[in-house]
Amino acid sequence: MALGDLPTRGRHGELAEYGARYGWTLAIVLVAFGIIALRLWQIQVIEGERYYRAATENIIRQVEVSAPRGRILDRYGVALAENRPSFDVYMVPHIFRRHADEEAYALLKRYMNLSEAELARIRGMVESNRGEVLLRRDVPRLEVARLEEDRLRLPGIEVRATAHRHYPLHHVGGHAVGFVAEVGRDELRNLRAYGYRSGDRVGRMGLESAFEEVLHGSPGLDRVVVDARGNRQGESQTRFLIGEYQRIEPVAGRDVVSTLDADLMVIIDEAMRRYAAGAVVAVDPRDGSVRGLYSKPHFNPNAWSGRLSAMEKMRSDNDPFKPMLDKSVNAYFPGSVYKIVGTWAALHDGIYEPHDEVDCPGYYHFGGRRWRCHKRGGHGDVDAYTSMALSCDVYFYKLAEEMGMDRMAEFARRFGFGERTGLPINHESAGRIPDTEWYRQYGPDGYTRGMDLNSVLGQGDTLTTPLQVAMAYAAIANGGDLYYPRMVEEIRNQSGDVVFAYEPRVRKKVGIDAESLEVLRRGLWMGVEDDIGTASRLRLDHAEVAGKTGTAQVAKLGAVRVANSDKEIRLRDHAWFAAYAPYDDPELVLVVFLEHAGHGGAEAAPVAMEIFDRYLTRKQGFDALEVRLGSAPLERAGEAP
Amino acid sequence: MRMGAKTGAAALVERIEWPLVIVVVLLAALGLLNLRNASLNSPASFHLAQAVWYMVGLGAITVVTVIHTRFFQRWAYVGFGAVVLLLVAVALFGTELNGSKRWLNFGAFLVQPSELLKLAVIVVTARFFNDRNKEGSHSLRELVVPTAIVLSGVFWVFNQPDLGTSLVILAIFGTMVLFEGVRWQSVVALAVAGVIALPFGYAFGLKEYQRDRVLSFMNLDADTHGQSWQVRQSMIAFGSGRVWGKGHEEGTQVQKGFVPEHENDFIAANWGEERGFVGMLLLLGLYFAFVAAALNVSRKARDRYGVLVGVGVAALFFWHTVVNLGMVTGMLPVVGLTLPMLSYGGSSLLTMMVAIGLLFNVSFHRPSYG
Repeated sequence: MALGDLPTRGRHGELAEYGARYGWTLAIVLVAFGIIALRLWQIQVIEGERYYRAATENIIRQVEVSAPRGRILDRYGVALAENRPSFDVYMVPHIFRRHADEEAYALLKRYMNLSEAELARIRGMVESNRGEVLLRRDVPRLEVARLEEDRLRLPGIEVRATAHRHYPLHHVGGHAVGFVAEVGRDELRNLRAYGYRSGDRVGRMGLESAFEEVLHGSPGLDRVVVDARGNRQGESQTRFLIGEYQRIEPVAGRDVVSTLDADLMVIIDEAMRRYAAGAVVAVDPRDGSVRGLYSKPHFNPNAWSGRLSAMEKMRSDNDPFKPMLDKSVNAYFPGSVYKIVGTWAALHDGIYEPHDEVDCPGYYHFGGRRWRCHKRGGHGDVDAYTSMALSCDVYFYKLAEEMGMDRMAEFARRFGFGERTGLPINHESAGRIPDTEWYRQYGPDGYTRGMDLNSVLGQGDTLTTPLQVAMAYAAIANGGDLYYPRMVEEIRNQSGDVVFAYEPRVRKKVGIDAESLEVLRRGLWMGVEDDIGTASRLRLDHAEVAGKTGTAQVAKLGAVRVANSDKEIRLRDHAWFAAYAPYDDPELVLVVFLEHAGHGGAEAAPVAMEIFDRYLTRKQGFDALEVRLGSAPLERAGEAP
Repeated sequence: MRMGAKTGAAALVERIEWPLVIVVVLLAALGLLNLRNASLNSPASFHLAQAVWYMVGLGAITVVTVIHTRFFQRWAYVGFGAVVLLLVAVALFGTELNGSKRWLNFGAFLVQPSELLKLAVIVVTARFFNDRNKEGSHSLRELVVPTAIVLSGVFWVFNQPDLGTSLVILAIFGTMVLFEGVRWQSVVALAVAGVIALPFGYAFGLKEYQRDRVLSFMNLDADTHGQSWQVRQSMIAFGSGRVWGKGHEEGTQVQKGFVPEHENDFIAANWGEERGFVGMLLLLGLYFAFVAAALNVSRKARDRYGVLVGVGVAALFFWHTVVNLGMVTGMLPVVGLTLPMLSYGGSSLLTMMVAIGLLFNVSFHRPSYG
């Protein structure tokens, strides 16, 4: 049709042939829009609430606020475990997956100093994980600053300020204080009900583990608004979108005030510097308080609580001296420190009077065999006092022959040997006090009488822990009370109020008569203070010490005696020394146990005497070592490089 | 120019399609406001850039309106040919973004010739049937030529690849042809052929990502991070608006970036979130009013060209609206089509404005018979 022609007009003025098509077209448009409206009705009206909830979940994230862990303090308030601020880096994998590119991976690698293997691990997490994962704990401030600068290019990466566990004394007392580590997946199943979540840390070993419930506290709950990239929105945005929300404040863990003495622990550590393996226990005999609990080789709880390198873990696992084993509560042959049991038993049963003498020619005939004394030439006539001071074996052989193993075992148990002392930490060993019945049941050749002679010397199959020895010697020092070892004085809340106090508790009365007690004390005094004593050359000039040396043979003696230095290390004797001081008013019992170090008198006693020396003079305001060496004030072991 | 009895300003005012003007102004205002709110947390001020495009568009409307209709009719084939040449140029020298080669780079700006093709198809189809001037229905044979002409342009668009634009152009053409009149036997035959061709087209005609889109559309829950994630987040935005919406500037899903392409193809999500079901009905009402006004221009036209241009522009808006809203509400697969006047973007907006200009043009130059 050419322009200008007159076409036929319809009823509404349109070109006639299109007539009804407008109506149809509009009807189709209406139907199509109607379908869309119905769909919107379905989404916005019928299912609106559901989508509204989904939208809320999109932007509001519940965030648990960790509670600061309680501190562990020594008896004077010195921190043994505390919290220091640190930064952890988290990732929300699904956000990273959606928004991040190769550049983000490259930035992450560069800023966080990641190895290829670590980066591969993170890639794996990004692909497989939902929720949130901890990428790295305790990231240095500089790295945090660099990460923050490029936050926009690192979607889903969050840096959170948190408190990191710190042990100011480092390795000193690591076993006693313990460390913290991330909660394991299986463990978490049980702990979730107590407010733990993935990534939380729980105490491992020592007080950290034993007082976990006290130290942990309860986490708080906060709600934050995030955008699609997981970035937290500001406070005002949060308030605007979710109103005046209720934040549940975390309840901080409570402080554990231990009975330990940080200074003493440092002194012990320094006194043990020459030895690779062993344990020291220091106990206040007046109430059973543990002042020092030390095990070597040690580990650094700071390293174990932070990022433990695979190398460090492997080194620890492969160390034959087992650094993670607390030797102060592990059982060993006690050797001659165990002779207090025999002496008391003999006096109690009237086998000997204190001054009854036994001739020691250097050996003892029994069962058709010659049993040797540690002094080949013999000690001559020894009585109850001198046998202790000289540690004469012959005196005890005779005693054992007359008394028998079962009776001696009974007295050993009265001293608490063969049972756990009740220390709350580190799964202490019960030790073993064998009797005839035990041998009949477990001995490969059953029971023979010769075993009585081994038993009285703390050899054969007798096993005690350094802590048990310390508690037994404490009973002698305090007049016969066997205490439970007390490691914690009180629990305090964050305001410093005492919420629980642990009173000293007597486990049992040993039941030692005054005369026997006096003999034991005198014998122990002579061991150090009398010229004949095995530790007499170590006497202190400012305090009297009573003690007993012990040398526990690890390998059976052959016909020819071999010097310790010529033996393979694992066959060398254990060196023991158990003592208390001051003699007339005992306030500290010390047990030094040196694994495969040799003779007690030559090795363990000097360590103990150095500890006594410095501990007792320090109490008077100066340090014995400093005085003697004229050196600078004692440097805290924890601050040593 | 024949203006009939009235002359000057009075005639001009009489010929202005006021309902159309009102709807367009409302859509533009609503679009700018919505774009502003959607990009509250974005570093870019999309609404300001869009306002500039509106100004350019206004100029385009004016120019298109005042040029005589005969000019468009006369140059329809040449213009169409030029657009196809541009599309060929895109295939040869085009700029590639996100795996698609759709743009020609003119230094300061990118031009998307496939948008021009929508307009060219409307004009060329109108011209074709105007020239034939056949009353009654057309046979399939009679449709071969115009179909071939349109396909010669769509082919290049499909290859960019741009499935959404290809389909919408075919839909516009189809609508115009149906309106022009096709024998019902032919419609049935085409429908049957289409159903048979569908699986083959899916298997051999679509690229893998296009097939993925269809698959993810079929099962929204299967792929929570890819295509479905967009649609799911868009539906969360819509749904969370409920009946009355969250209110002005208070949409969280779009503003916080949970809905991707929120300033572009998924712009309706913000409106739905902030204004709710009631607001969406208002928006649908405006689009319906637009389509009705366009059809009204068509109805008042005095020749086939005017009728078909009116229908073509109505179809352009209709298909864009229906496909876009169907897509963002999870009823249709994601094909990448803008929402007329609301989506951000110069090419799309300019296309719509020129299309509106074509409507004004038809109305303005309508011969008056008294």
